[in-house]
Amino acid sequence: MIATALIDWGALGKVVLYSLIGGIGVPAIYAFVVLGASRSSEARREHQTAGAYGYMLLSVVGGLTCLAAIAYGIWLMTQK
Amino acid sequence: MSADVILVIVVVTALAFDFTNGFHDTANVVATVISTRALPPRLAVTFAAILNFAGAFISLKVAATIANGIVNATQITMTIVFAGLVGAIAWNLATWYYGLPSSSSHALIGGLVGSAVVAEGFSAIDGHGLLSKVIVPALIAPVLAFVVAGSAILVTYRIAGRVRPGPVTRGYKLGQLASGGLLALSHGTNDAQKTMGIITLALVAHGNISATDFHVPDWVVVASASAIALGTYSGGWRIIRTMGSRIIKMDAAQGFSAQSAGATVILAASHFGYPLSTTHVINGGIMGAGAAKRLSAVRWGVAGSIVTAWVLTLPAAAIGGGLVYGVTRIFGTGATGPVVVSALILLAITALFTTRARQAVAA
Repeated sequence: MIATALIDWGALGKVVLYSLIGGIGVPAIYAFVVLGASRSSEARREHQTAGAYGYMLLSVVGGLTCLAAIAYGIWLMTQK
Repeated sequence: MSADVILVIVVVTALAFDFTNGFHDTANVVATVISTRALPPRLAVTFAAILNFAGAFISLKVAATIANGIVNATQITMTIVFAGLVGAIAWNLATWYYGLPSSSSHALIGGLVGSAVVAEGFSAIDGHGLLSKVIVPALIAPVLAFVVAGSAILVTYRIAGRVRPGPVTRGYKLGQLASGGLLALSHGTNDAQKTMGIITLALVAHGNISATDFHVPDWVVVASASAIALGTYSGGWRIIRTMGSRIIKMDAAQGFSAQSAGATVILAASHFGYPLSTTHVINGGIMGAGAAKRLSAVRWGVAGSIVTAWVLTLPAAAIGGGLVYGVTRIFGTGATGPVVVSALILLAITALFTTRARQAVAA
């Protein structure tokens, strides 16, 4: 009863959900960017062209997704 | 004439608080960046200062909300605001001296609560607002950031853990520039607005701005943005050292995870109207990123000192604000009290810096 009066459970639930999605999702995607860039460079050294392009694509798509997340964050700031 | 003098003192004190807010909270943005050597220290604080300045211009919509729903605005006078600001500044300086990252927002709210109680009694305080808007979020913020950053670093190690260390470190140092930049922008947006709100409310109380046409004048925006950016640039190195290397010894991936988790939690909380302290979130994130790797990686003694400072922030700043209000009232309700207190503060600060300069020369 007291907790219900003191805590806006609706807002808190959304904060927790979006924090978990964004706070774990963005680092996970960025880990693929790092993985892709590193493996692409290794594949190039070993003359595995297809592998190099595949990993490069993974890295670029992940990087663009992270940039989009940052842009979304800045847009959210302007909406307050 | 007396009201004009108090207004000038309140504006200058608010900008002084904004400056201490900047250098106290620099660590939230740059500690992980400096610790992992993603940027050299001076470049890191310059980067944070510029983005703090820019962030202050992004939005002005919450400038009027500081302490709203916590203290009764109709009972607040300029002298109460002045005393609250001084209480907050004193606590910020004390925690900076001991290298403890405490919340500047809580210090400001505590200072205002203390001075309002001494001036008007407990009727000036909304206890429910204080619990639901300040104390409950203070319990939730570090725990949420701890869990998010801890989960983020576990996922990160799972995906990129087998990559050679060189590219991983380079990649995460680059990532830290982006996550740190987002944090600096959000810090400028959130924290500079507190000062803008305080100055604007003082202008309303003085009659310069109509209460029915509440807007933040351009000079207030520029002055507040400049004060927080200058404070950030001057760098609170003691707190940076605590957050950057004394809680955990972090690698670049942990730094990135802590910052990303912190930025996400702050943006989500801010968007859904749930006020969380940047300091609590980032410190919770750093502890989570360390504990997920190995529980013993976190220096729990340092973490305990930080949490103690968080618990003490509200009451200590409130006592400071109340004491300052009491001293100003000895001299009546005019400008004499704030003038005397301001002169005493300037003397104390001069003595402090002179002593430190002598110690530096002697060393």
